[in-house]
Parts: sequence; C-alpha cells; structure tokens
Amino acid sequence: MPIISRWMIRCSFVYLLMGTLLGAVMLVHKAYPLHPAVWQLLPIHIEITIFGWIIQLTLGTGYWMLPRFLESPQRGKKIPAILMVLFLNLGIMFVVINSLVQTTLQLSVAGRLFELASVILFISLHWNRIVTYRSRE
Amino acid sequence: MPLISRTFIKAGMIFFALSLITSLLIEVNISALPGLIPLFWHMLMVGWITQIIFGVSIWMFPGRNRDEGFKAQLWGWLTFIFLNTGLILRVISEPMSGVAATGIWKILLVLSAILQVLAVSTYIIEMWPRIMSKKQQREKRKRQRNRKKKEERGSK
Repeated sequence: MPIISRWMIRCSFVYLLMGTLLGAVMLVHKAYPLHPAVWQLLPIHIEITIFGWIIQLTLGTGYWMLPRFLESPQRGKKIPAILMVLFLNLGIMFVVINSLVQTTLQLSVAGRLFELASVILFISLHWNRIVTYRSRE
Repeated sequence: MPLISRTFIKAGMIFFALSLITSLLIEVNISALPGLIPLFWHMLMVGWITQIIFGVSIWMFPGRNRDEGFKAQLWGWLTFIFLNTGLILRVISEPMSGVAATGIWKILLVLSAILQVLAVSTYIIEMWPRIMSKKQQREKRKRQRNRKKKEERGSK
C-alpha cells in the first residue's frame, strides 16, 4: 500500500471515530438533553463522516488499487498526490471550523474550494489509470 | 471471501433494503412513527455503506489472518456484533422514545450510541496495524514464518 493511501486511510479512520463520537453525543442528547448547543454538531457530524470517512477512504483505496502505469512513477507524480491529501483535509477542517466559530471570513467557501481542488487532482491523477492491460480478442 | 466479510455484506444488504422501505414509508406518509428520516439516513450510511466498507476492507486489506472462527477474527466479530446490535437498538428505540414516554427506550437509545462507538473502536483496533507498505507486509510475513518454524522446532 503506497504512503499516500496509508495517510488517507489512517485519516479516514480518525474521522470515522470523531464522527461516530459526535453522532453518539447527539443520540444521547435525544434521550437525555445535555445542552441546546449540541445540535450545532450536526453539520460537523455530516461533513466528517461523508468527506472525512467515506470519501477519503474511497480516494485512498482508489489510489492504491486502480491499475498502475507500466512505467515509473506507477501511480503518477507524487506532488499532486500529496496536494490531493492536503487539500481534502484542509477543506474538511475549514468547513468544520466555519461551523464551530462565528467569523466574517467565508471559511466554508474556502473549504469547498479546497475539496474541489482535491477532487480535480484525484481525477487528473487517475483518469489515465482507468484502463485494461488485457489485449482485445 | 472469509465468513466475517460475507456476514457483513449480507447484513449490509438487509439494511439497504430496510432503508429504502423506510424512505418509502416517509414518502407515502403512512407511518405514524416519528423520527424516520434520521433512521433512513443511518440505515443507508451506517447499515449499508459503512458495513460493506468494513466487510470488504477486512477481506481485502493486507495482513489478514486467514484462520476462521470467532477467536481468530475476534475484533472483526466484535465489530459486527456491536455495529448491528447498536443499529437495531436505534431503529427500535428512536421512534419508540418519541411515542412512549417510558425510560426504557431512552436507555436503549444511549446503549445504541455506546455500541456504535465500540464498533468503530474495535474496527480501528483490527485495521490500524494492517495499513502497511509492501515492505512492512514482507517483514511481517517473514516474522510469522520464523515464529512458526520456532514453534515447530520446539514441539519436536
């Protein structure tokens, strides 16, 4: 498993745990109300579980498992791959911070732009890897 | 495919169907039970998507213990039991706690939250050491082979 995939999969596990803990707090709050502010955790719970856990795990596993190039570097250039991980996680953090603190800065817009940049990098890295090396009969 | 993965995927398929039945109930508005929308989303995202990710990753990620049985696949089976018990408890207790004011449904809802956190924890315990490079994988296999040889020599 390449290091990029190892970073992404480990990050996704951390987000899974965080997202589940936030979900558990909200579930307990449904039974025994803890604090009115607990519901503000909902958008963070959704962002972390969808982008942090499911999307990050899928991108990391795709980078590892999709067919490789026959020539080196077999999974494409390293720097765009590093930027893909960095941008996705920066994007998630910006969106989460935007939900947590009141600010005039449009952090959620910046977060979504980072996530978009990460997805574009993922597509550009993998487009030519979606091939078959079996010859047609 | 190991038994644990097959069990995860089949349970996931059941939740997939249940989630769509729930969404149908919401659409036609025939259920008197409250709180069906969060149940639909959690059956879909936890019961189906997360459950097949768990099942397939336990099977496909490197460093799998090929022995079958509860003891050999301890963390995997605990994950399965905690996740499904937690989700079933939620499916029952969440609408019921909105209908009946008895404390038992609230306790079950809290228990469901705890079980789902436990499921994620046991899954991470199982999978974290298995996120490894090819080099680490080779070294692990080498260590296992050496240990087996030592055990065989010891038994002789």
